[in-house]
Amino acid sequence: MDRADPGSFRDPASRVVLGDSTATRILDERGLADWRALKETGFFRRATADGRLIATTEVDPPEGAAGALEHPRLGVITYPFEWTFSMLRDAALLQLDLMLEALAEGLILKDATPYNIQFVGGRPQFIDVGSFEKYRKGEPWIGYRQFCRQFLHPLLMEAWCGVPFQPWLRGDPEGPTSAQMWRLLPARRKATPAAILHIGLQARAEARLAGQEVRRSLAEAGFSAELIRANVEKLRDLVQSLEWEGSEGTWATYHGCDHVARDRDKKTEFLVQALEEVSPATVLDLGCNDGHFSQVAVSRGADAVAVDGDEVVLDRLYRSLVPGTPINPVLVDLQNPSPSQGWAGVERPALFQRVRPDLVVAYGLIHHLIYTASIPPRRVVEWLASFGAPVVVEFVDPADPMVDRLTANKRPEELHPDRDRESFERIVSEHFRVVREADLPGGTRRLYHLDR
Amino acid sequence: MIFAYLDPGSGSLILQAVLGGVAGLGVAAKAMRSRWKARKGEPATEDSAEETEQPVPAEEAQEG
Repeated sequence: MDRADPGSFRDPASRVVLGDSTATRILDERGLADWRALKETGFFRRATADGRLIATTEVDPPEGAAGALEHPRLGVITYPFEWTFSMLRDAALLQLDLMLEALAEGLILKDATPYNIQFVGGRPQFIDVGSFEKYRKGEPWIGYRQFCRQFLHPLLMEAWCGVPFQPWLRGDPEGPTSAQMWRLLPARRKATPAAILHIGLQARAEARLAGQEVRRSLAEAGFSAELIRANVEKLRDLVQSLEWEGSEGTWATYHGCDHVARDRDKKTEFLVQALEEVSPATVLDLGCNDGHFSQVAVSRGADAVAVDGDEVVLDRLYRSLVPGTPINPVLVDLQNPSPSQGWAGVERPALFQRVRPDLVVAYGLIHHLIYTASIPPRRVVEWLASFGAPVVVEFVDPADPMVDRLTANKRPEELHPDRDRESFERIVSEHFRVVREADLPGGTRRLYHLDR
Repeated sequence: MIFAYLDPGSGSLILQAVLGGVAGLGVAAKAMRSRWKARKGEPATEDSAEETEQPVPAEEAQEG
């Protein structure tokens, strides 16, 4: 059934209606004229062919509309606050490359928000063809400030200040203003030309000129596309130069743990069996770490949504993806998954409204929720059942050495009941039937394939 | 037609001329001068600046 995309309404020239397997973009007269100009360009054909732009076909418009375009419906939509540094950086480079290619053929992107980009096959893809419009002589780049707030400042926050950008973008999707960013920058970064021009000077100019008409003044002073091109090229160099290594967190060395190497083959074999039985289109890999089990799912024909809360491991996974691999990395703390937010609280749906898995994998996860995050075992099982799909889960007995580490600073009375295997199986039986179970070599861990 | 569904921020727009390099500095200076003159002339024409027969920026276009 068709329904309006709750996140597509800001641009009056172009809005999206979602069908089962397609997304239809409805255009007004102006949107249609811009589309006709776009489809004649060489860069549009190139970028569509190499997957940087979403596939687009013109279709008959519904009554009252000037035009309509059809796109394939994407698997899982993710938001910039669920991306790692390298993902946002690649998205920024795509945005700037498309700007340069569009300008060379007399078009421009009217906005510059990462919400116009999605990750498909491990690479960024620009999905909002309604953002391209004919460049009008003398006009400045309307999206420059938005580019700074939603791409450049978040990247600088992480690369130059060592502070993750995701909490900020989740709290304020518009991104940090230039004045806010200036206050965050360390002194040695403030002395760089890029910081002075894009952030310091922009903050001053915004404060000085707020609300004044300047577009006409610029046009009359001889502003040209050439000036936009020069700015975008320098921005591209700046973004390209940004690096973030991240500090090695808890999980970056996880694959070196004894039990991980020891159990990996057995866990893979168990998962492969479940994959063959369920034949899932989408696998949700919770606590994916290096993405090994997502890769296993992909090797059996599924798409994987690889969720982890550690940016270092997830960024490494993203960078290791061979283009075309249908793994969608999602950075989120499972104790606090992305809520529904934006206009009227529905513009950006919650993460688990966007992901509809056919199989959930929870390997090496639930003991961390139970012992570290203090989530009662019963609530963990209820949560796994809430996905409405079969689950492959690893249970860790209280006698496991990892549990000793996780509880080293907790007194027994600070732990929830029902941590033992019998209690776990009893709670599981209230929500699932057990399809298969198997012990792992160490003797304190057990795998379950559960179905509804 | 001048249209933007996005608030571009006046300061960010002017800044783009500066960011365009040497060629842009002249454009920025000229645009700022036109802004300054427009503001100086504002009190008399404030309510109808867009509609006056001789709009302020048009005068500067001739000067430039």
